[in-house]
Amino acid sequence: MSDTRGPLQDVRVVDLTDERGIYGAKLLADLGADVVRPEPPEGDALRRRGPHLEDAPDGPTSLWHAFFASSRRFLSVDLDSEAGNAQLDALIDRAHVVLCCTGAFGAEQERLDAALSRRPELVVVEVSSFGKEGPWRDYLAPHIVAGALGGAVAPTGDADTPPLNAFGELHFMMSGVYVAIAALGALHLARVRKIGQRVHVPVHECIASGLEQVLMWYWYHDRLPMAKGPVLERRGGLHWTNAFQTMRGRDGCVFVTPAPNRDAQLAWLIEEDAAGDLWDPKYQDPANRETFTLAVMQRLREWVATRDVEPLFKEGQARGLAYGQVVPVEGVADNPHLAAREWWTDYLPTVRGPGAPYAFSDTPWEIGPYGDVGADTEAVLSEIGWTESQ
Amino acid sequence: MRPLEDVKILDFTHVLAGPFGTRVLADMGADVVKIMSAVRETGRTQQDSPYYLMWNRNKRSLAFDMRHEESRQLARRLADEADVVIDNFSLGVLDRWNLGYEIVSETNPGVIYVQMSGMGATGPWSDFVTYAPTIHGLGGLTYLTGVPGRGDIGIGYSYNDHQAGLHGAIAVLAALEGRRSTGRGQRVDLSQFEVGVNFAGLALLDWFGNGRSASPVTNREPYDNNAPHGCYPCAGAASDALVDERWVAIACMSDDQWCRFRNVLGDPEWARDPALATTRGRSEAAEILDQRIAEWTKGLTAEVVMERCQAGGVPAGVVQTGLDLCERDPQLKLSGFLAEIEEPHPMAGRTYADRLPIYFERTPCDEYRPAPVVGQHNAEVLSEWLGMSEEDVRRGEEAGYLS
Repeated sequence: MSDTRGPLQDVRVVDLTDERGIYGAKLLADLGADVVRPEPPEGDALRRRGPHLEDAPDGPTSLWHAFFASSRRFLSVDLDSEAGNAQLDALIDRAHVVLCCTGAFGAEQERLDAALSRRPELVVVEVSSFGKEGPWRDYLAPHIVAGALGGAVAPTGDADTPPLNAFGELHFMMSGVYVAIAALGALHLARVRKIGQRVHVPVHECIASGLEQVLMWYWYHDRLPMAKGPVLERRGGLHWTNAFQTMRGRDGCVFVTPAPNRDAQLAWLIEEDAAGDLWDPKYQDPANRETFTLAVMQRLREWVATRDVEPLFKEGQARGLAYGQVVPVEGVADNPHLAAREWWTDYLPTVRGPGAPYAFSDTPWEIGPYGDVGADTEAVLSEIGWTESQ
Repeated sequence: MRPLEDVKILDFTHVLAGPFGTRVLADMGADVVKIMSAVRETGRTQQDSPYYLMWNRNKRSLAFDMRHEESRQLARRLADEADVVIDNFSLGVLDRWNLGYEIVSETNPGVIYVQMSGMGATGPWSDFVTYAPTIHGLGGLTYLTGVPGRGDIGIGYSYNDHQAGLHGAIAVLAALEGRRSTGRGQRVDLSQFEVGVNFAGLALLDWFGNGRSASPVTNREPYDNNAPHGCYPCAGAASDALVDERWVAIACMSDDQWCRFRNVLGDPEWARDPALATTRGRSEAAEILDQRIAEWTKGLTAEVVMERCQAGGVPAGVVQTGLDLCERDPQLKLSGFLAEIEEPHPMAGRTYADRLPIYFERTPCDEYRPAPVVGQHNAEVLSEWLGMSEEDVRRGEEAGYLS
């Protein structure tokens, strides 16, 4: 059994995902499930994704894979052989949950159909890009294309930039988190009622579900006083409410808002002699609420431009305002709050990375060791009762 | 039957992150009872606001005035009946109402108690006030999503609020599974900041492992250098306004896809340059490639570019706006993902749902009720959860602790 602990320590998962679902498998594995990831003898194709650890003792190691395939056990199987297919089927037969993506290694429909017919309590979560049918069913959708079609690229960027894709794998981390929810929701029912099932998760809909104002703007723009039509244009760091904005300071950028304590913000501007006409009685009229918001934000932009951002951020927070400094990666790595919470964890012997985003009081989380290609093959085959003579 | 119909959730969440998490659980059948206040601004005056309508469907509402001891006692009794108590208030609010984990778990040891604070329950910044863009800034996402030389763009919507909510749902579901094994509930300290920093994970491993500080890359790939890889302007705009611009994303993720793209382009002379045959060559020439491709896309609509590319085996997709998603997207039409909620909202009238993007084959989650108005389910919930009579509820409403 895996050494991992956590609330899912009694759950066995087979991970047949690719980029679209692997974050879901990571979440279950990090939460303590015994997650076995089968891979071909030459290794998982995702082990070639960058960034790589350049000075690893055995040559460059994929940090992408170390992050997304954390806490797993790795089983090497040759699916061109009868034995390899039998091994994978036997592994699935002892699992509670199978996570798979259409077209991924080992995720053939016939295999999963047969497993479900053998074991009605099995949960199979299947991820597709666009759904099982429809004109885009077979469309190719790597991260930027998935984000574009899902509606996540259009609102990001500014008037003088193209629409922008989010850095990294954020759209597939959205589908990934739904994969974990689908698996745990179905597992709950399987535990309570002994009902297993196939569960389908289309990436396209997952992305569209997490766009804050985008769908709201279309459906309710006639009820939003600031809306001029069904679509809000991309506009840099200015939030749809007009009351939140990432602004440029003297030595960097900082997110600034008078929320949730507008009075505290106004008092601060007065102390700094930067309030201008914000006390004009015309702004007391509820009909001028939007005009007032725009005036406050204009004052703030002018004021912030004259200030250094780190002390501004800290003083804003001290005054109960939700300011946030824009920091590069090394700034995140040096964050004193994360250090005080002892949050970072080791992904490789020399490489730290994000810890658990939630702390369970009774079943604490810890990341499992990272393995080479097929590192756990012998142990896993032994557990499924596979002998060399087979 | 839906997967979570046996799960009772007492919901003290507000704004977006918390309500989005409990929305997912409610969509899957959990009985999510939202404690609301008629005396707060976020109560009656905001209950038909689009933002509230978006994140609170499929829930039931109780109206409490927590200044009254009777309200706090009722909330305490409800917590004893709940499988899950969840909040995203600032730290200490529920403790002040005598609803802290230590107190509730004394009489309800099976309770799963999820606190979704901005920064987590401990640490020097634990009392910081945060919204999603605060966390995007502090967690590196604002810096990384943008163009070189700018730090003020970032993600154009509150990505982390959605993710924090979804991670909250996972915490609930994982703790339910843990309770099945151990027989005990537990407390979960969910830091929305730590959820957000997780999304810069690759850049952070690269920093800790190699000492490399990632920079914004516009629309290029940050690590694998595939090219072309970007968003390109297209014809077909309804006006010159920014909001009407049309764009398409194109990404060649291999040498083979580049060869296919050459065919889609009609194999022009410039594309035959042998230096472009490899990922490295295309990456080095990415800027000129982007210019050439933009010249081609400008003469075509985004839909035509997408269809030609996809037919030729090249990944491409229209940069869809909300209007595209709601009116033109054939996949969303086919699945019925975006739909009006049949039952009208008592105050707002017509409301809408982007459905749960999870399709359970044997236990479909296809029930959608509008977000509740404050106190809409006072009698119903207090009867079902606590066995209170209608008369007792009416008495509480008259006394003001049930509003």
